[in-house]
Amino acid sequence: MSYSTFNQAQINPLNEPMYFGNSVNVARYDQQKHSIFEKLIEKQISFFWRPEEVDVSRDRVDFNKLTTSEKHVFISNLKYQTLLDSIQGRSPNIALLPIVSLPELETWIETWSFFETIHSRSYTHILRNLFSDPSEVFEDIVINEQIKMRANDISQYYDNLIFYTQLWQTHGEGEVEVDGEIYNVTMRELKKKLFLCINSVNALEAIRFYVSFACTFAFAERELMEGNAKIIRLIARDENVHLTSTQHMINLWQYGEDDPEMKEIAEELRDDAYEIFMTAVKQEKQWAHYLFKDGSMIGLNESMLCQYVEYIANLRMQAIGFDAPFPEQRSNPLPWMNKYLVSDNVQVAPQEAEISSYLVGQIDSSVDASDLGDFDL
Amino acid sequence: MTQSVFKVIVNGEHELAVDASEGTLLEALEAHKLEVNYHCKSGFCGACRSTLKSGSVRYLTDPLAYIRKGDILPCCCVPESDLEIDH
Repeated sequence: MSYSTFNQAQINPLNEPMYFGNSVNVARYDQQKHSIFEKLIEKQISFFWRPEEVDVSRDRVDFNKLTTSEKHVFISNLKYQTLLDSIQGRSPNIALLPIVSLPELETWIETWSFFETIHSRSYTHILRNLFSDPSEVFEDIVINEQIKMRANDISQYYDNLIFYTQLWQTHGEGEVEVDGEIYNVTMRELKKKLFLCINSVNALEAIRFYVSFACTFAFAERELMEGNAKIIRLIARDENVHLTSTQHMINLWQYGEDDPEMKEIAEELRDDAYEIFMTAVKQEKQWAHYLFKDGSMIGLNESMLCQYVEYIANLRMQAIGFDAPFPEQRSNPLPWMNKYLVSDNVQVAPQEAEISSYLVGQIDSSVDASDLGDFDL
Repeated sequence: MTQSVFKVIVNGEHELAVDASEGTLLEALEAHKLEVNYHCKSGFCGACRSTLKSGSVRYLTDPLAYIRKGDILPCCCVPESDLEIDH
């Protein structure tokens, strides 16, 4: 089942499943099986931003005022986010594009990954401003045990799906021997790997970012590192759109609104999906512990962060049909987070540092002829 | 003039009068000082997801978050009848 960049078979994408049907040929959006993905593309593109638009120059002064433990919190989070977006900037493309079967979903995946690359570029923008040579920070990402552990957990599901897809593309279904090991490639197995992969990505978009978001916004609450916070706000807004897309995929499968075999797999692997999510929850709590190993910061400590992870996990798990795993954590322990997570379609007070719409999309193009009424030449 | 004020029962314990012509259901919950869950307030993240136990709502903007059966997104809808919700 080798991949063709232009499948010449006459196919009707309206009858295709999201994945593992015929590969996409014509990129057409006049008719859509799951129009939600086209809507998400539009929403995501309307959020376009460039890191350079955000002035982070004041952050350097703030950074030098932070205590050693606060610097650890700040830099560690940036490292972790750099890792997450390094993975997300390529993996949806590499893992999902070879197996996608709907044009609108194919384009969504490309749009999604592209925005993750903007996030990656923004971390360099932030770090260049803080250090004359940020190499040490970047180099530590592949050395730091705490980060490596998470990297492994996130990438293994992608890597598994990619590897099996490669075997399937070159050998088709059946047993294949690679380096002395036998792999049994079946469509069922491929779809299971896809299901687990999407659940792992969903957990990533749903909670893995939120411990670092909370720290960033806690600094901003103290009017520190506000340029950074402005960038992270834009990232958080994008991640919410990405999360919605993985929640859609999972729900479409669960409700049998896509591939019927994926509905069976969703039921069969329900416990595995739950475990993937709960492992991410556990790792995020461990991350909070690592961040505050040398001391807390004003307004935030390990236990509040862990409560927030539980609170967010409840919302995210319910969104994909699980009961809230932490029923005792129904209320938001960090209510100030929400003001940074609101998508600001309303421009309130542009001079406030926390309003990101001041910097992006600030041009008013709605000019009426009457606006020029008193204009003389 | 059609009716715009509806009775909304939240979590089986709070009873509010919500004017559908004045803002979203989520804003009404906030105005009544109830603790609310939300992120984007624009219908794309789904963090405000609530259970609709009875009644019906109307969406002001097309919600992009997946709405599971029996759920509503109060950040972008208004009541169309008296409601009972869990938030």
